[in-house]
Amino acid sequence: MSSPATSPPALSISGLTKRYADGTLALEDLDLEIPAGSFFGLLGPNGAGKTTLIGAVCNLIRLSGGEIQIFGRPGTGMAARRMIGIAEQEPNLDKFLTVYETLLYHGGYYGMDRSEASERAEQMIDAFDLRAKRDVEAPKLSGGMRRRLLLARALLHRPRLVILDEPTAGVDLELRHELWRYIRALHEQGTTILLTTHYLEEAEALCDEIALISGGRIVARDSAEGLKRTYGVDTLEEVYLRTVAGGRIALDVMEEVE
Amino acid sequence: MNPLPPVDVEPHPWRGLAWLTRRECHRVLKLWKQTILAPVISSLLFMVVFGLSLGDSIAEVNGFEYRVFIVPGLIAMAMAQSAYSNNSSTIFQARNDRYLDDILSAPMSAWQVHLGYLAGGAMRSLIIGVVLAALALPITGAPLEQPLALLLSVLLLIGGFGALGIIVGIYAQSWDNQSFINNIVILPLIFLGGVFYSVNRLGSPWEQISHLNPLFYVVEAMRYGFLGAADVSPWLSLGVVGAITIALLAWAQILFATGHRLKP
Repeated sequence: MSSPATSPPALSISGLTKRYADGTLALEDLDLEIPAGSFFGLLGPNGAGKTTLIGAVCNLIRLSGGEIQIFGRPGTGMAARRMIGIAEQEPNLDKFLTVYETLLYHGGYYGMDRSEASERAEQMIDAFDLRAKRDVEAPKLSGGMRRRLLLARALLHRPRLVILDEPTAGVDLELRHELWRYIRALHEQGTTILLTTHYLEEAEALCDEIALISGGRIVARDSAEGLKRTYGVDTLEEVYLRTVAGGRIALDVMEEVE
Repeated sequence: MNPLPPVDVEPHPWRGLAWLTRRECHRVLKLWKQTILAPVISSLLFMVVFGLSLGDSIAEVNGFEYRVFIVPGLIAMAMAQSAYSNNSSTIFQARNDRYLDDILSAPMSAWQVHLGYLAGGAMRSLIIGVVLAALALPITGAPLEQPLALLLSVLLLIGGFGALGIIVGIYAQSWDNQSFINNIVILPLIFLGGVFYSVNRLGSPWEQISHLNPLFYVVEAMRYGFLGAADVSPWLSLGVVGAITIALLAWAQILFATGHRLKP
């Protein structure tokens, strides 16, 4: 594998546009480049276009225009898809499969042979503390267990680019910190991470770089410190409110609350 | 446990298809009471009630005892409905619960996903067909005259109804939609396609109208395979069924290739 310095960007998006059948323009001529090896945060309010952007990268929506490349490979190609692992926001687990089978079959879909997929499934079961639930079907798992399984599935085939769409939404504090630790370690091993979250402190703690998305466009992008400096504010929350949540009006409201 | 570093390997060209096929067959076998036992029992009941109980009071049809005459059509009906309902429900469920995303984002081409989803319905339909034939032939004394023609008609039936199930599963907005197609379209057309009677016995214009029913040719192709005789030429039956199957497979393939209704 080439080093981050010489590697093409993990994700390169140019002119990405998505208009849904009902006429909603979810993404408008969006350009974004995420360097290989980075830990990148994508923040924005509900309906800003985060999930649509992720869907476009993962072949889950039909593009209206634009181009996507993954590590220099066309985003629609098989090689590019092999390099991506996604944990979606909603637990979308196959109800006919147990925890072990969910991981085993996922490995198979991504081209692993049985022994390799099985060995890797067992590793992920241990890594995500799912051993006691190994032979339990997905619908019988608790919310936290489902979240663990989603992450384990996303990472099973050892992708170079991992996309985590609000991975800690609705999980307890203990699990959230446990997941943070694992994701940090994953990043240290060379995996590029694209994280969307509504928890600003999570983005600030984890991400090297943050982009703010609003109305289907990237409106600001820098490190957390750089963003604060640019907008002359003390917290990422203030940057968020100024850029994507109604500008001065929202800031005024926040000052009143304080 | 510390995570392992990412790996950069080219995806295997057909392993994804093999695993999706396996997943679809796994689902069929896991739900075997519903997917296999129930349709076998209901088809056997038809054979017992119409063939063995009432058969003696009905004169021969086209030179065959009635109990023998109805066997190919009943097997065709069970196999067609199984291939259809399996694929429509598995696709609809995967769409509805969004676990289809794990397939759509995987490094598999459209034709591989299409073929993988066809496999479950094909396996279920074949198991039901083989079990019914194994039970019905000795009981009724029905022959197996044209095995090659039967094999071809079975393949076309499975492909056609499997593809129809996929198409309906992709377009369906609710569980009601797919059962509606089965109960209001497939079942009546099969019944009116000569499962229980020879359409040659119908007067004009019903005989001619029956020839417009595509399911009539499915029943006739299967009947020729088992009995070696049918109301129309086997070439005509296989030709019509083949043309319909190719059209349905092409439609399903276009849906997978474009993502129409599978992806927003």
